[in-house]
Amino acid sequence: MLMLRIMSWISLRLGRRVARSVLHLIAAYFVLFAPDNRRASLNYLPRALGRPATWLDLYRHFFCFAATIHDRIYLINRRYDLFDIDIQGKENIHPLIDAGKGVLLMGAHLGSFEVMRAIGRQLPGLRVAMVMHEDNAQKINSMLAAINPEASMDIIPLGRIDSMLQVQERLGDGMLVGMLSDRTLGNEPMAQVNLLGATAALPTGPFRMAALLRRPVVFMVGLYMGDNRYQIHFETLADFSETPRGQRDQAVEMAIARYTELLNRYTRLAPYNWFNFFDYWQSVPASLNEKNE
Amino acid sequence: MIENNSTLQLEVAELMVQALNLDTAVAEIDPDAPLYGDGLGLDSIDILEVALVISKRYGLQLKADSEDNHRIFSSLRNLTDYVATHKTK
Repeated sequence: MLMLRIMSWISLRLGRRVARSVLHLIAAYFVLFAPDNRRASLNYLPRALGRPATWLDLYRHFFCFAATIHDRIYLINRRYDLFDIDIQGKENIHPLIDAGKGVLLMGAHLGSFEVMRAIGRQLPGLRVAMVMHEDNAQKINSMLAAINPEASMDIIPLGRIDSMLQVQERLGDGMLVGMLSDRTLGNEPMAQVNLLGATAALPTGPFRMAALLRRPVVFMVGLYMGDNRYQIHFETLADFSETPRGQRDQAVEMAIARYTELLNRYTRLAPYNWFNFFDYWQSVPASLNEKNE
Repeated sequence: MIENNSTLQLEVAELMVQALNLDTAVAEIDPDAPLYGDGLGLDSIDILEVALVISKRYGLQLKADSEDNHRIFSSLRNLTDYVATHKTK
């Protein structure tokens, strides 16, 4: 955490321009000295770009990753003034928030998670909780504490007997509950989907849960578009509010298909924003042991 | 009371088997085996499903309070005991 404090100090005192020169070094380092990440990136990029990947693409991919992580320092410190954030698809989520019955937000390891949280904090009265694995929860909270002790996060840890009961309770209070649904915790049912032209596996758990809880599900993504620009998209994913028991499995299948369609669309729109640095198309994505959160 | 509970226990087991489409027969469920993880092998989404079915059937609330839930869902027997003392219908 000391490194993070130092980086945070540089970023806030010397400014985003100076700090970003460090990011170029980091991106170059990854291109040259991180063969595992490079392999994962080379496995992904041609699928999203629709052409062979060049060294420059690799560099852009790692730079995009470093930039979004770095910008978290500013976002956590509420320096929204530094950014140009374009929000699209508000009409897909506002009526659901106003209805006050709780909404599930599903994202992916695509783009910036912090920029979405930033938007959430700007809407008065809107409360968001995130579902995530306990290890990640601890990492994130100690990171937040190092950068800005006031920026806490409401986290529902997975892997507990009552994890889902907690989700139910938060939704019952009219809260938004978010999760990233593109990685598995291991040892759970998966669905085969066609992602960027090849077979990949997605966990069915998040969708089953949404169906059981009979809630609307909104897809969300916060894409880094270069310089200081971010683009947030909200898309209708599914609404299980009226789904009868007998049609649940079918509705879950449709939701997974829709989620896949959205992943295809947004990885093609912003290819360098994909932050699953492991072989997503081959092995079961064992996300928990990955270095990249 | 004990007799009532054994009827109720079968009923709760039946609800569970139906809700989760378990391959296990009701009579084969060890009332003292853990429901979550080892034992019956349910995950937290299964537990949610059981909680929803049980809440609806018996008109009770299962809250997200970790310590209580570990006890309640530790076995079919404990779940049945909880239903027996908290049910409103």
